[in-house]
Amino acid sequence: MNRYPLRLLFAVTLVLTATSARAQAPRSAPVEVSSARPAREMPPTLRYLKANADFLRTRFELFAPSSRVQGSAAQPVDPRFLSYRGLLADIAAAKDSVAASAEARERQALFTSVTDLAQLERELDQMERVLAAQQTRLATLHTDFSGRQRTELTVLLAGGALAGRVDSVVVTLEDGTGVVTGLDDTQRRSIKVGGLLEVYRGLIEPREQVVEVRFIGEGWSAVASGFVRIAPARDRVTFVKLDLSQAAPARGMASVSAGTWHSDAPAPARASADADQARP
Amino acid sequence: MEDHLGRLRSRASLVTGALALLLVGVVARAQAPSATARTGLSLAAAAAKAWAPDAELVYLENDEPLDAAGRSPRWGYLFRSATLGRSRVWSVRDGRIVTAENLELRFDAPPLPTGWLDSDAVLAAAEKAAAQAAKREPRGRLSTMLLMRGAGSESDHDVTTWTFVYGTSGSGAFHVVVDAATGRVQRTWRG
Repeated sequence: MNRYPLRLLFAVTLVLTATSARAQAPRSAPVEVSSARPAREMPPTLRYLKANADFLRTRFELFAPSSRVQGSAAQPVDPRFLSYRGLLADIAAAKDSVAASAEARERQALFTSVTDLAQLERELDQMERVLAAQQTRLATLHTDFSGRQRTELTVLLAGGALAGRVDSVVVTLEDGTGVVTGLDDTQRRSIKVGGLLEVYRGLIEPREQVVEVRFIGEGWSAVASGFVRIAPARDRVTFVKLDLSQAAPARGMASVSAGTWHSDAPAPARASADADQARP
Repeated sequence: MEDHLGRLRSRASLVTGALALLLVGVVARAQAPSATARTGLSLAAAAAKAWAPDAELVYLENDEPLDAAGRSPRWGYLFRSATLGRSRVWSVRDGRIVTAENLELRFDAPPLPTGWLDSDAVLAAAEKAAAQAAKREPRGRLSTMLLMRGAGSESDHDVTTWTFVYGTSGSGAFHVVVDAATGRVQRTWRG
């Protein structure tokens, strides 16, 4: 069989996908990477509680047992989560039958007759059915989870530094949570030629805040942290891209250029089994 | 001479611009709309969810002065995470979180139920009780509204209540406790 047309089709699809993605790429707003944490005024809160904490504490601690019992009552399980076990079992069964067919096919060195070709066609049909079933399952999951977008932050790394070598990136949020992401040679080469590396992805509070970034590696370990001010929009993904292409340890974190943008607005939220006022 | 005048003019424009900006900021701050306690809850809850998936609302109070309708420009929402063993507060003003901080003192209050009456709905009952008390002695101005569970009622220790504090907090303050589910006055006291 001549596979050339298939390869050509695949290549054209890739090019079209890349072009479409480029056309739809959101516009990034430049943000400053400062060497000092920007000062921010935070007005006082819960003044009565702080002034009268002892009095309030003695009140509810007297009656804590009954409160705790009610507070820890079991919650009903969302039936959708139980159905996912069935979906997983279906996927596993489909995988098994496809694998068995593949093994049987590998045992045959050549297709010598029209009967073999018919067998191959049946196997291809079976794979198509498996793919269709998978699409149905994905659609089910999409229906269940689309519209439940939460406020998230994704930090991306791009470009190769002019000097030094970045071995890992430390991203720390204001509440003290953060992650360290290591880079290997392949990843360093990839971002140098235009690739993007995700160094942080997680939930974030929907408010203006400062994210601390630090690089560790040859030349960079001695450089103080950089600070990026962001304003994550509620129920959207906020992206921060750190570009190292003009960065050098001697010029500090200010030599790192950064940009930020938000994902598209989410679909209107659906009512879900676990949503309420206190825990939407 | 012309250069000097030009510099003076540009300095004057800069100062005027800065003053105008300052004035706009002050006016905007002064005109931040008042809202009921429930208005900012979903935003604070979204932040709490990012902080800890098991965070639960345990307490709230007004962070800026209240108006006659039980509304305030800013409310503070305290959440507690059992898994983290910590509490964190978000203060919401005009649809924005303006303060977020961990509560350093120990305050393991029980979680609030969802069905509580909003701050404007319960104010009338408290005002009536306070007005009756005022016939005997001055009550002062309403300074604080706080919502919590298990702290305000003598008859039902697990009930969620709004506590209204009239006058400055301390020995002279007048307190009215209102059931947050029914809006009935539970008790009043001075202290």
